Amino acid sequence: MIFDATVGGSTVRVEVRGGGGRYTVVLDGSPVQVDVVTAGLPFASLLVGGESHEVGVERRPEGYVVHFPGDAVNVNLAEAARGTSPAVPRAHGPARLTAPMPGRVVRVLEAPGADVAAGQGLVVIEAMKMENELKSPRAGRVQEVAVREGQAVEAGALLAVVG
Amino acid sequence: MSARAFRKVLVANRGEIAVRVVRACREMGIASVAVFSEADRAALHVRMADEALPIGPAPSRESYLRIDRVLDAARASGAEAIHPGYGFLAENAKFARACEEAGIAFIGPRSETIALMGEKTSARREAVAAGLAVVPGTLEPVADEREASREAERIGYPVMLKAAAGGGGKGLRLVATPSELRSALARARSEAGGAFGDDRVYLEKAIVRPRHVEIQVLGDHHGNAVHLFERECSIQRRHQKVIEESPSPRLTPELRSEMGALAVALVRRSGYVNAGTLEFLVGEDRRPYFLEMNTRLQVEHPVTEMVTGVDLVRLQIRIARGEPLPFRQEDLAQRGHAIECRVYAEDPDAGFLPSPGRIGALRVPGGPGVRDDSGVFDGGEVPIHYDPLVSKLVVWAESREEAIRRMRRAVGEYRVVGIRTTLPFFGRVLDHPAFVAGDYDTSFVDTVLASTDSRPGRVVEIAVAAAAIRALEERRGERVAPVAAGVGAWRAAGLREAHGGRVGSER
Repeated sequence: MIFDATVGGSTVRVEVRGGGGRYTVVLDGSPVQVDVVTAGLPFASLLVGGESHEVGVERRPEGYVVHFPGDAVNVNLAEAARGTSPAVPRAHGPARLTAPMPGRVVRVLEAPGADVAAGQGLVVIEAMKMENELKSPRAGRVQEVAVREGQAVEAGALLAVVG
Repeated sequence: MSARAFRKVLVANRGEIAVRVVRACREMGIASVAVFSEADRAALHVRMADEALPIGPAPSRESYLRIDRVLDAARASGAEAIHPGYGFLAENAKFARACEEAGIAFIGPRSETIALMGEKTSARREAVAAGLAVVPGTLEPVADEREASREAERIGYPVMLKAAAGGGGKGLRLVATPSELRSALARARSEAGGAFGDDRVYLEKAIVRPRHVEIQVLGDHHGNAVHLFERECSIQRRHQKVIEESPSPRLTPELRSEMGALAVALVRRSGYVNAGTLEFLVGEDRRPYFLEMNTRLQVEHPVTEMVTGVDLVRLQIRIARGEPLPFRQEDLAQRGHAIECRVYAEDPDAGFLPSPGRIGALRVPGGPGVRDDSGVFDGGEVPIHYDPLVSKLVVWAESREEAIRRMRRAVGEYRVVGIRTTLPFFGRVLDHPAFVAGDYDTSFVDTVLASTDSRPGRVVEIAVAAAAIRALEERRGERVAPVAAGVGAWRAAGLREAHGGRVGSER
């Protein structure tokens, strides 16, 4: 199978084939052999050309979080069709601000129609006893505010749209 | 005060500190009583205590902050004493007084001492009277925005806004320019009101490139007082500590004994009883400015325990029983070096936003010199209602260099799946040249975050390979994807095996 894997904003194409714990992974055109043994889900032991890596692999809606010793890497995966090039993230158009965690809206800082700068606070959400100011992903005009003060929101809920 | 026996102690807290107190009670042969909100029925402190009583709904105002319900639980269980932990009611003089009036020992200072030293503006007056220097500030809570603005102009920007009633970074805001004052004041008041039930704030001049150093003190009911040296707490984000160590890499022996003597002077002057901590800012001129006193056990107390060999929680209980301190100042020494990393349920890659949820899998480090004071367990839930501290990872070694190496090793062994934690961030801090050199101030975290991501390309390659292989297995049905929220990965795997489902072919 072929995927487009996005880590830290850059996307690479990865092909994986094989089964039964032995896989060939082609990354940027160069194949590596990977031997995989489950070490009690969600952990797995990977032997990559003699290197031993024990990782935890956690499913997330947009891909996986891979846990290393002292690090955790967000890997977003999309199935790719053969012959196409990796999708380029959209650089313009309306941007959606979503709640990164569940919490309660304590303040809405900007109303629809307001002109905002990139990084300007739009909504304040309280979670785990801290007030977190969530900032506009881009400069533009607030097209929509989808929440009101006092409202409880789930992770991923739409808060506002800036166009 | 005559010595009294405790057969049962109620722990008026949750999370790792409740577990810590339950452990001390068990070692002392004292029965422990947990209290819990509706969100915490399955929490670790409830499971570990000998008894547990519900005290109300999930929001802490309706449970852990309810003095009446905590006291009802103490009476119902027959507890002779209450340990408040830190946070919640730990620095609430009304609560300490209510305990005193109910004939239940409050494991902490007397209520009038909490009122005097826990309220920051009166604590500063006491400190000045005891010979300590303080940072220029209002000394009193400000009434309104106009007064705040006037005082800020008088002191000179940048200024800090601080909650009069509490600590822990809640209600704390740095204000660099007059234009930021209005919103910062509103945010600080709102946070302080939510955290402490008291929204008063005061102003203080912000010290440039400060180090945050604190002194642990103990006083008993017989007039004895000692200090247990310092903790260096300059590694902070959002004005909350994330890494602490002892000894401080930048304190000279002279400054250490000067600060210790000042701390003991304040303990004696205020008649302070039980464990407490004096927080200081040490500026570039190496002058210690008294900030505030925390009239309770500190989150980072294990660092002191590791270098002094003193069990602070056990001593708190013994002091509350009326026993004299079992040592004098000259009996105490710092040995070796200890470091603590606070494992928070926060995403360091997303500006430390909270990351509550179910812990799908947990592997805890061990081996020589490693201590993990945790409040969670595999499959447990980290609720959105409370502080995001999951665990405190502490190491001890003979030298600072060895302690850093040991902490790197322990952080590497620590795996938490299901929520994001600050563990990856600690890896970066422990490798940072300024941290290794011990040359850092309270702006260090911003420096680390601003530096370019130095994650090796090899790690990204392995991550992509692992994710792609797992995706392939899942699409072939070789592996059931753990449900994102709800059933954890372990349980999903267990259920599948129990029901004879297919398992991964490599098993």
